[in-house]
Amino acid sequence: MKFQLTDEQRALQDAVRSYLRDKFGQQQVRDLYENPGTDGVPADLWRAVGEQGWLAVLVPEEHDGIGLGLLDAAVIARAFGAGTVPGPWLGTLLVGEAVRLAGSDAQRKSLLPRLAAGELKGAVALLKNGSSPTPAGAPATASGGTLSGRLELVEYAGVADLLVVAAQDGLYLVDPAHATITTHEALDRTVRLNTVVLDNAPADRLENSTPVLHQELLDRAAVLVANDLVGIARKALSDTVEYDKTRVQFGKPVGSFQAIKHDLADIHLAVTMAEHAATYAAYAFDIDAPDKQLAASIAKAKAADTASTSTGAMIQYHGGIGYTWEHDSHFYLKRSKRLEYQYGDAAQHRERIAQLALDA
Amino acid sequence: MDLRFSKEDEDFRSEFRSWLDTNLPQDMRTLEWWRGKSDDEQFQIRREWEAKKAEAGFAGIQWPTEYGGRGGTPTMKAIYDEEMAKANAPRTVNPLGLAFLGPTVMAIGTDEQKRDIIKPLLHTEVIWCQGFSEPGAGSDLAALQMKAEPQGDHYVLNGQKIWTTNAMHGDKIFTMARTGPSEGSRHAGISMLLVDMHQPGVEARPLKQITGESEFGEVFFTDALCPTTEVLGGEGNGWMTAMLLLSFERGSSAIGQYTEFRHQWAEVADLARTLDRDGKKAAQDPVLRQRLADALIDLECLKYHSWHVLTQTSQGKDLGFEASMTKIMWSEAFRKVSDAYEAVLGTGFQVPDPQPGLSLGELTTMALWSRSCTIWGGSQQVQRSIVAERVLGLPR
Repeated sequence: MKFQLTDEQRALQDAVRSYLRDKFGQQQVRDLYENPGTDGVPADLWRAVGEQGWLAVLVPEEHDGIGLGLLDAAVIARAFGAGTVPGPWLGTLLVGEAVRLAGSDAQRKSLLPRLAAGELKGAVALLKNGSSPTPAGAPATASGGTLSGRLELVEYAGVADLLVVAAQDGLYLVDPAHATITTHEALDRTVRLNTVVLDNAPADRLENSTPVLHQELLDRAAVLVANDLVGIARKALSDTVEYDKTRVQFGKPVGSFQAIKHDLADIHLAVTMAEHAATYAAYAFDIDAPDKQLAASIAKAKAADTASTSTGAMIQYHGGIGYTWEHDSHFYLKRSKRLEYQYGDAAQHRERIAQLALDA
Repeated sequence: MDLRFSKEDEDFRSEFRSWLDTNLPQDMRTLEWWRGKSDDEQFQIRREWEAKKAEAGFAGIQWPTEYGGRGGTPTMKAIYDEEMAKANAPRTVNPLGLAFLGPTVMAIGTDEQKRDIIKPLLHTEVIWCQGFSEPGAGSDLAALQMKAEPQGDHYVLNGQKIWTTNAMHGDKIFTMARTGPSEGSRHAGISMLLVDMHQPGVEARPLKQITGESEFGEVFFTDALCPTTEVLGGEGNGWMTAMLLLSFERGSSAIGQYTEFRHQWAEVADLARTLDRDGKKAAQDPVLRQRLADALIDLECLKYHSWHVLTQTSQGKDLGFEASMTKIMWSEAFRKVSDAYEAVLGTGFQVPDPQPGLSLGELTTMALWSRSCTIWGGSQQVQRSIVAERVLGLPR
C-alpha cells in the first residue's frame, strides 16, 4: 500500500516547480494581466513546455512521447495551477488524448509526435456552456463530413493549429482556418477565450470515436482540471497562512484569532481531501479502476468547491489589500472561477455521483 | 503508487476472515439478534466473544508478541479494522485500554505493570475505564481537581470523573489526580493512577445519553484507595504520561470508520430508493441526491486519507498532530451521512417505523450518536486549534 507519488513523479513535480520559480513567476503572470492584447502564449514558456516533455507525458513512446500516465500529467497540472500558468498546455494535451484514444493509426502517426513536441498547439471544444460533462453536451452538429455550430469560450482557439470538436456522433478534427474565430476579454487574463463559429466546416472524424471514449476524454479533462484547482487551492491557502502569521491588528497576528484560524484549519482539511481525491482519480484512470468515473466526479466536485472556498478566503483574510489589483489574490480567484465550472461544475458532478452510486 | 496489499497482508485478511466465518454466526451480525437483550447481557456476550477472539490470536494486532500481541504491521491493523466492520462484529469492550493504556504501559510501565495489565486487558479479563474528564475539566483537562493524598503506602482519592465510557462495566480505571502541589504550573503535581473500581470508595452511576442508552457514566471517588505502586509513569509525571498516552491514537487510520459509515450510506441509499416523496422516490429528489452525493464525496476522501495515513505509518513516519485531521474528517463525514439520513426520512425521522415494514431504530441511534463523535476525544473546536497551530503554524 503506497498512496503517494513515485520518486519519478516527485522529480517531475520538482522540475516543473523549479522551472516556474526561476523562469515564470508572478511577475510574468502580472505582465499578462497588464497586456491583455497579446496572444497569451509567452514564447519562452511554450518552448520550455515542449522541450521539457510536459506535452509528451501521455503520448506513447512509439509516437515519440514519454508514455506515462494521467497521474504524471496531473502532477504538471497541479503545479501549473499553483503557478497560475498561461498557455495552451491543457488544450494541446487534450487534443493529443483525443487522437490517442479515438484516432486511427494514420491520425495518431501524423499528429501525436508533433503535439508531443509542442510543434502544434491544440484547442478543444467538447461541451456547450453549462452542459453536464457527457457526450450529450457536444456543441457542434455533424453533417456529411462537415461541422456546424457556435462554440463558446474555447481556450486558445485563436492560436491553435488544430481543434478537436465534439459533435452528436463523436469527436472531430477541425482546421481552425475553416472557422470564424473571435476573442473575448477574459476575467482570467492568463487565458485567451475565443468564440469559434463553424458553418459547414470540413472536419475529419476521429475514426475510432465512440460514446465511451468520448466520455473518457471528458473525464480525463475533468481530472486534470481538478488537479489544477487543487494546486490553486493549496497555494491560496499557504499564502494566506503566511500573511496572517505576520499581519498584526489589535496587537496580535490576525492568524491567532480563532475566527480566522479555525476557518483556515477547515480549508486545510478540505484542500488535503481534494488533493487526495485528485491524485486518486488520476491514478484510477492509469489502472483502469472500476470506480474511475466516480473518482473523477468526486475529484472535480471536491476540488471545485475547495478552490472556491480557498481563493475566497485568500481575499477575505488578506483584508483590503487582497481586494486590490496590485495583490496576487485575484489571479487565483479568477483562475479558480474559470475552472470551477469547466467540464462539469460541482453540482453536476454530484448529480453524476448520484447516478453512479444511487441509481445503480 | 500501488494500492494493493502485500501477499502477507492478504494472507492475514483471509485467515482472519475465515476465523470470523467460523466464529461469528450470521445471526450475531444482525441487530435482531441483539435486540431484547439487556445492556448487561450484551456486554457479557461481547466480552466473551472478544476473549475467544484473543485466544485465537486476533487481538493486539500491532502489539509485540512478547506481550501477547500479534506483532503485526499498521496495514494488518487496518485490515483487521476493515474486516471487523465488514462483518459487523461486536465492538471491543476495552476500547480505551486497547487504544491508550496498553501502548503506554508497554512504553513506560514497570515490569510488574506490563505483566499484570497487558494480557488480562487483551483477553478482557479486566475492563479498563479512562478517568480524565471532570465536571469542571472537559476540553481544559489541566483544570482537573481530583485529589489523591499519599497516606502510608496508599493514595486516598476524592473527586469525580465524568463521561466515563463503560463506567458500569469497568473493573479498573486509569485516572488523573492531583498528588502534589501545582508549583506555578497547572501541569505539575498530577499523577496517572491505576485504580480498582471494585471497592467501597468508588461508585459508578450511569448517565443517560440522548440516544436513551447509558454507554457512559460518572465515577465518584470517596476516600477510595490506590496503592502507591499503582502509578503509571511516576508520581508527578501525570501530564507527560497523559500526553504520551493520547499520542498513541495518532497513528490510526480511519479505515474501520470508513467501512462502517460507507455501509450506513448504502443503507440510507436503500431507504431513499424505498421512501416516496412528491410522487416519486426520495432517491429521485434532486436536492437529496446532492446531499447523498456530498456525503459520499467526504466518505471516499476519508478512505483516501486513510491510505495516506497507512502509507506514512508503514514507512515509520510519525503523523504527529496531523492525527487531529483524521479525527475531524471521520467525525464530520459521519455527521454528513447522518444528516443525509435525517433529510431522506424528513418528517418520518420522528418515529422508528415511518412506513410499514421499516424498522429504523438503529439508524436513528447512529444519527444521534454521530453528534457525540465531534465532542469526545477532543472537540472539533479543540482539534481545529491544534490543526491551525501545530500543523499550519499559526500563532497561539
